[in-house]
Amino acid sequence: MRQWVWVFIFLVLGGFSLAQDRTQVLVYGGDWTDLITLDPQVVYEFSGVMIADNLYETLVRFEGSDLATLRPGLAESWKVERGTTDWILTFKLRRGSRFSTGREVTAKDVVFSFERALALKGPGSFLFTDIAQLKPGATKALDPYTVEVRIPKSASPQSFLSILTFTIGGVVDSEEVQKNAKGGDLGKDWLTNNSAGSGPYRLVRWDRGNQVILEANPHARIKPKVPRVVLRYIQEPAVLRTALESGEIDIAEGLTPEGLKAIAANPRFKVVRAETLRLQYLGMNMKAGSPFANAKLREAMRYAVNQDELLQGLLQGNAVKTQTLIPKGLLGHNPTTPYKYDPNRARKLLAEAGYLQGLEFELLVSTGICGGGVPCPDVAAKLQADMAKAGFRARIRAIANAEVLATYRAQNHQVVLAGWSPDFPDPDGNATPWADYGARSLAWRNSYNDEVAAKLARQAALETDPQKRQALYKVLTEKVLREGPYVVLYQPAQPIGLSAKVEGFLKNPMMSAPLWQVSKQP
Amino acid sequence: MRRLARRFLRNPGAVVGLFLLLVLALVALLGPGLVGDPLEQNLLERLKPPSPEHPLGTDQLGRDVLARVVHGARISLGVGFGVVLLASLLGTAVGLLAGGLGGRWDNLLMRLTDVFFAFPSLILAMAIAAALGPNLGNTVLAVALVTWPIYARLVRAQVLALREREFVEAARALGAGQGRILLRHLLPNALTPVLVQASYEVGAAILTAAGLSFIGFGAQPPTPEWGAMVAETRNYMAEAPWAATAPALGILLTVLAFNLLGDGLRDVLDPRGR
Amino acid sequence: MAAYLVRRLFLVLFVGVGITFVTFFIAQVVPTDPAVAALGENAREEQIREFRERYGLDRPLLVQYGIYLRRLLALDLGRSLRTGRPVAEDLKEFFPATLELSLAAFLVAVALGLPAGVWAALRQNRSPDLLVRLFALLLGSTPVFFLAILLLDVLHRQLGLLPGPGRLDPYLIPPPRVTGLVTLDALLAKDLAAFRDALHHLLLPAFVLGSASAALLARMTRAAMLEVLSQDYVRTAWAKGLAERQVVLRHALKNAALPILTLLGGLLGGLLSGAVLTETIFSWPGLGRYVTQSATSLDFPAVMGVTLLVGVVYSLLNLLVDLLYALLDPRIRYA
Repeated sequence: MRQWVWVFIFLVLGGFSLAQDRTQVLVYGGDWTDLITLDPQVVYEFSGVMIADNLYETLVRFEGSDLATLRPGLAESWKVERGTTDWILTFKLRRGSRFSTGREVTAKDVVFSFERALALKGPGSFLFTDIAQLKPGATKALDPYTVEVRIPKSASPQSFLSILTFTIGGVVDSEEVQKNAKGGDLGKDWLTNNSAGSGPYRLVRWDRGNQVILEANPHARIKPKVPRVVLRYIQEPAVLRTALESGEIDIAEGLTPEGLKAIAANPRFKVVRAETLRLQYLGMNMKAGSPFANAKLREAMRYAVNQDELLQGLLQGNAVKTQTLIPKGLLGHNPTTPYKYDPNRARKLLAEAGYLQGLEFELLVSTGICGGGVPCPDVAAKLQADMAKAGFRARIRAIANAEVLATYRAQNHQVVLAGWSPDFPDPDGNATPWADYGARSLAWRNSYNDEVAAKLARQAALETDPQKRQALYKVLTEKVLREGPYVVLYQPAQPIGLSAKVEGFLKNPMMSAPLWQVSKQP
Repeated sequence: MRRLARRFLRNPGAVVGLFLLLVLALVALLGPGLVGDPLEQNLLERLKPPSPEHPLGTDQLGRDVLARVVHGARISLGVGFGVVLLASLLGTAVGLLAGGLGGRWDNLLMRLTDVFFAFPSLILAMAIAAALGPNLGNTVLAVALVTWPIYARLVRAQVLALREREFVEAARALGAGQGRILLRHLLPNALTPVLVQASYEVGAAILTAAGLSFIGFGAQPPTPEWGAMVAETRNYMAEAPWAATAPALGILLTVLAFNLLGDGLRDVLDPRGR
Repeated sequence: MAAYLVRRLFLVLFVGVGITFVTFFIAQVVPTDPAVAALGENAREEQIREFRERYGLDRPLLVQYGIYLRRLLALDLGRSLRTGRPVAEDLKEFFPATLELSLAAFLVAVALGLPAGVWAALRQNRSPDLLVRLFALLLGSTPVFFLAILLLDVLHRQLGLLPGPGRLDPYLIPPPRVTGLVTLDALLAKDLAAFRDALHHLLLPAFVLGSASAALLARMTRAAMLEVLSQDYVRTAWAKGLAERQVVLRHALKNAALPILTLLGGLLGGLLSGAVLTETIFSWPGLGRYVTQSATSLDFPAVMGVTLLVGVVYSLLNLLVDLLYALLDPRIRYA
């Protein structure tokens, strides 16, 4: 009996040897619970897109944080021609790119992948079908290394090219996928947790809720510096911080501002702030009968938000101050910030609108984490306290994010705390949803029906001259800032804590992270 | 009665429990008037350690932890009693009907009880709270819905045991109706185990409700509910352990008090059950 | 006996269907459209409509429930709205982690609670008894989520004695997934380093999850033992001068086993569903976290699958306990 106790104690507490060289494994901790698939044509979630980006290559791509210059990916060159009825895009594939299966990437794989995206109708497929207006059969292999794609004249080839940098344009090994297809699913089931790409890594294991393990793709053109990547699911920010501090993980995403401050002060670690294109904002419902249909009240609200304290006190540097609808980093961003916290002015405006006793309203927030790593209820509580001094009595209703969205979509909110990220890196990814009521997106949800704003957004979307486009967006952003249903609170940065041993880590504003460029010192 | 009280008071645990409860009741009744505003924030004073001004420090929004904990006492006691009241009413009614009517009704009602008994309670409460929308009222309802079967079983067992006893036979012989026998004769005698169970269940209900709030299916911010407070401040354990510890101790002491009280009551009222 | 077994199994079935019925109708109170929950903030109206059609959310309620039951006969639990996968697949993926954690917690509870209870009973009203009772009271009253946070902070962050979250050190190559229980899989792969590390990772969450059960078990064992120790035959054994160890093991514990056994079945079942909070804090990839996320996103097919699974396992455990009872106590006969 007693011996067994000692055997047990030895087994549990005994020292153990590590099986792997620590510099050859990169451990990345974060909340990956949104991960539901790694199929490039289906994936649309932040973490899924980030991972799939390391498994698959696209024809063209952006490098680093530069979202303006297209660079060669699988295609070494491309050209755009104006046909009689269509835009004709021709891509020349480079030779010798290989899938993790060892097969060469050829034009038929590109055709298969694009047709697959259209057939599967994943959540991101509107990028192909609506924005690029791509039709089945419009992608052709002219020879094994030449692909031709035709899109209608009414679509913008520039937008299409930037969409092609997104995972939906990731090229899969058509033979391997067809081999694993079941009942006409085009391999969707299999690709959910297997990979068949030419990217620097291949997927070796995904234990849902626990970890995703990537290994260097032995046939890839791009060789990663660290051959093995482990993505650990860690949701608790406090636990995440401890894991980083104790060396269990190398990269920590989702730390609290306090945690980041402590990490930044320690020479063994460093902090990277990834810029995002996300905007955190308040949406005021302007539908008939709502108090916020009154422009004076919306104006008062803009003076009732203490943006500076919010940024300094709560976000502590993990956000950029901005008040207009196009985020910093995209063409057309308008840096003007005319509104300052002014409770007296807000009260006066309220009184002018007939609310001498102030106004009570419901502020709808998610129970989740808002941009910049702060819990949304904390942001709401801060807003509530500042608004109270300005005559607005906010009743906070914190509910699951899904319910916030459902309420918002049904136009049943009074004021909502929400976030928005553009679907593709172009100002139109914000301008149309925010300004065009007909697009049935944010403007519609807040009953902001302004024909001038909608027309400006449409006009700017099709304008090809960058300077003219910029000018149009300046008019639009100013107008919506003063009249619209939004109070933009901030543009969050995504703060990430790293071990000082980690070099070359980067996360771009579209939230992709080229892990193959990361190296790890002993 | 006096003998029972004396026996109760000879049990040191019971006395401690009773004392704790009295203190808690006082805090819940009078406390909120004595401390500051539990919702007032001061972001410049975030996560400050205990000081004369803030005896239990401040939380991540610079709110006074003491004020929040004191207000939380009222909420948690309210939740605990609310749950037990609802659950014991429902459970007693079901148990009384099952035991009293017998036969097919008994069978049906007890199988229903089995279903709820086998239900993973926290998960059912989560589902209910998610469906109805998370707020304290729904939490009370949800926890009551998962805890009533225990009373139903207790009461039914008592009723079955008592039904054949002489005083019930006597009442029946005197021509008392079924309903009258149930309410006048069986119910009062079946209540003792319910009372003992209820005293434990207040503590258990407070724990469950706090757990629900902790994972976001209960009280909503900025409500100073103890479980929600621990949840909101748990990420600051390294910088400000007081902010999460104070409400957690609140839960611990309250639950402890009810457990001690339950032990004491059981010793006195139901000496066999130990 | 066979008839009894059939009747009890039928009852388990009834409970299972009852559970789906209750959960299904709870799901219908939801004020929110699950399609919106699943598709997120940028989803278009057509996508939402298509989603509702694909999952049959546009059909009448009873029809939906009928379809659900018919599929259930083929062990098809439907598709999760959140992950898009068959719920059965998801359960297969997440259940083993919860099972491993609950079993470990159960072992912790038995290893701590049983001896503590016996010890306390043997030294009634002396310091060991008081100590055990005090600890049992305190552990039984501590909110498990705070215990988790506290121990993680002290033992892991401050002292570095125990590993943090997760099931295995990320620098170890995880053993191939066979059972989904990492400890068992490591043994099957003859990987002792992984086995040790997995045990190491289990220790803290298992203690946290098992602590309240240990407290309860200690109290019940103590009570059962006191009852037995006051019986005549034990006094006789003692009077005959048998060693304490013998008295305890041979006579007292054997006879106290029945009430304790009843408790154990319930405990393990309770641990399975009680793992929710522990899993959340330890990033443990089990059913508890799965069901929390499912409930948050109003994914009721998934919630129904989990409640059904846990409820049926719980009922089966109770059945098992009753059968064991019959084996241990010859006086009981099942007709």
